[in-house]
Amino acid sequence: MDHRPQAWGRPRDDVYGAYDASYLHTDGPKTATQSPIVTGTSVIAIKFKDGVVIAADNLASYGSLARFTDVKRLRTFLSTSVVGFGGDVSDMQFLDRHLNELAIDEAYEHDIVSTGAEADQPTGSAAGQLNAANLHKYLAKLMYRRRSDFDPLWNQVLVAGFDAQAKPFLASVDLRGTTFTSPSLATGFGAMLAQPIMRRFAATEEDAARLTRDEAVNVVKECMKVLFYRDARSLDRYSIAVVTKEGVELSEDEQLEKQSWAFAERIRGYGTQVV
Amino acid sequence: MTSIGTGYDLANSIFSPDGRNFQVEYAVKAVENGGTSIGIRCKDGVVLAVEKLVTSKLLKPNANKRIATVDRHLGVVYSGMIPDGRHFIERARDEARAWRDTFKTPIATADLASRMGGYMQAYTLYQSVRPFGITAIVGGFDSAAETPVDGEVGNGPACGAGGKVAGKTHGGPFLYMIEPSGLYWGYYGAATGKGRQAAKAELEKLDLGGPGGPALTMEEAVKEAARILYVAHDDDKEFELEMTWISGADGPTKGAHHEVPKALREEAERLAKQAQEEKMEE
Amino acid sequence: MEFGNSGSLREDGIHLDMDRLKKGEVNMAVTFKDGVILGADSRTTTGAYIANRVTDKLTQVHDTIWCCRSGSAADTQAVADIVKYQLELFAMTNGKPPTTQTAGAIFQELCYANKDRLSAGLIIAGWDERHGGQVYSIPLGGSLHKQPYSIGGSGSTYIYGFCDANWREGMEEADAVNFVKDALKEAIKWDGSSGGVIRMVVLTAKGADRHLYLPDTDYKVRHE
Repeated sequence: MDHRPQAWGRPRDDVYGAYDASYLHTDGPKTATQSPIVTGTSVIAIKFKDGVVIAADNLASYGSLARFTDVKRLRTFLSTSVVGFGGDVSDMQFLDRHLNELAIDEAYEHDIVSTGAEADQPTGSAAGQLNAANLHKYLAKLMYRRRSDFDPLWNQVLVAGFDAQAKPFLASVDLRGTTFTSPSLATGFGAMLAQPIMRRFAATEEDAARLTRDEAVNVVKECMKVLFYRDARSLDRYSIAVVTKEGVELSEDEQLEKQSWAFAERIRGYGTQVV
Repeated sequence: MTSIGTGYDLANSIFSPDGRNFQVEYAVKAVENGGTSIGIRCKDGVVLAVEKLVTSKLLKPNANKRIATVDRHLGVVYSGMIPDGRHFIERARDEARAWRDTFKTPIATADLASRMGGYMQAYTLYQSVRPFGITAIVGGFDSAAETPVDGEVGNGPACGAGGKVAGKTHGGPFLYMIEPSGLYWGYYGAATGKGRQAAKAELEKLDLGGPGGPALTMEEAVKEAARILYVAHDDDKEFELEMTWISGADGPTKGAHHEVPKALREEAERLAKQAQEEKMEE
Repeated sequence: MEFGNSGSLREDGIHLDMDRLKKGEVNMAVTFKDGVILGADSRTTTGAYIANRVTDKLTQVHDTIWCCRSGSAADTQAVADIVKYQLELFAMTNGKPPTTQTAGAIFQELCYANKDRLSAGLIIAGWDERHGGQVYSIPLGGSLHKQPYSIGGSGSTYIYGFCDANWREGMEEADAVNFVKDALKEAIKWDGSSGGVIRMVVLTAKGADRHLYLPDTDYKVRHE
């Protein structure tokens, strides 16, 4: 019998014949990259004249299983910005903790109460404090760094808030570190189903600058409804946040309203059938 | 001083024959030369204050803050050698961060005091280092409400967790003072620096250690703190008053350590000066 | 058999067939009026063979903080051992017992940081003075979820409907025990990878209390 360590854990060659290792496939590239497991679906957001509206449903799926139905995927940062997360929930939590530490570091240097009130800055942020544009840049660098290490954070992220000129800001980053900015943005299924709807209302920055808050909220709610109709990994409970210069209004337990199902009554068979 | 010339004061890690560490005692002298710092533990929070001596007219007023924030809910003020204090704060922030990284919750004031006490004490043991030339006052408000694990998602039952011990409260305001020897205690009111004797005498007159806990509110304590620092101040040297506070989640700072708002600070200073003048007239 | 030194596992490495170590099972934890209850079946399988029919899947990591393990037995035991050590150390160095949250945080960090090496699904349930009874779930990727009750393991998919329909908040202890028992009975009935006895642990201010129910008495009689 072969007592060398290399043979440990293997059937004895002298009894079972040469070990068939063909199924192992171990000489490919080393893979550190995983795949997402517990996931959140789309995040959607649209700019309006005084800020940004952003929304995401409260579901964390485990494959096709609707595993967790109370997962809040919108996170506020320094009460001035909102980050919406799609993709892996464990990586979202990692980023959330990371941003929390970043916010603590900010408090060391900028005392909001003492300086914020005096400084002429938007949304209660103290002079020099990280705004949404800064935060987005930081996240983009972080995500790109992790993808370059072949260990990506498996998320699609939207950042909503204000830039240094106190203008509404909205931008996205994905797991590859790719960034986009636009008057409206959506991740995942939302990019296909919600984005065309939002573009009808805010195709350009000028359009967005004319949208009222109520109009923007209504568009987003309408989009959440379409996503619930057509995205098999979505939920009818969702979170919605409105970011303005006054701060963040976050509602985390909204229920989809005014759904349309009654027309199902007119649908009989799949072609010629009428009863 | 009895130590001079004996050689027992030349290094840490050497006791004198009568059991003293002279390096530590000299560090205390450094503290005794620094501007007065005080901390008051109140009913609804903690107030920290420091008498910031103006060493040059070329320094910008109200810049170069002396009281620092550690994590969100902790504040540190110190008397003595400022660079030593800066290092102390850097370390305190690292400790708070390390605690968060492992346990994913904010560090309790008592735990930070314990760790920083241990850190200061280590600087009394070795030949290669000198003790800290500061006495630090650490104030904090440990959340009285349940806090989530950092990053957690989801909720427990809407009716609340079952099996909690009834009537038992948790968290609240805490105050600790750490000396160069590494010695630390929890205090109702703490004072250190040049004017500590006068300040302590004034603090003892306040209702801080009653059986039902301190009766003083933060707003009252801010005014008392200003008054005490004016009393303890060494007459004609110019100084700035720097004050911070930490309330619970339902108070003015929402559980965080912040500077006392300008209006309140100025009001407190006005009252302090007024009290001072009344005393002069007597 | 000849071994090379090419660095390729196929030619010269040792290996274990990880799939053989996994176990199918069902386990759950629920909050109730006075604390939490953990419950699990007792079947461990390697493929279709039942390697152990009386397994104890409820693992203590501190006095009143326990966990249900599912996935690879080796991985979850290793993780639980590390956390048990960390919590003991916490209690000694801080002079106070760890909370369920402390346990959850340490479990999560291990599961998240080693997600590409571990096959571990955990439910952490505990009672502590400050927070009462709490249930945390850590599924495969290493995320942390607070829940009123949680079900896990391969058999759990068969009882999502049962649990959702029958769950009530703030139950009395006897009702909560029956809820857990009935749910596990369903999983045992429909899932080939779940079976054997039902074990439970009730965690309250009074400490940890074990329950055992056997199939030969139709899970009706409490033994032990």
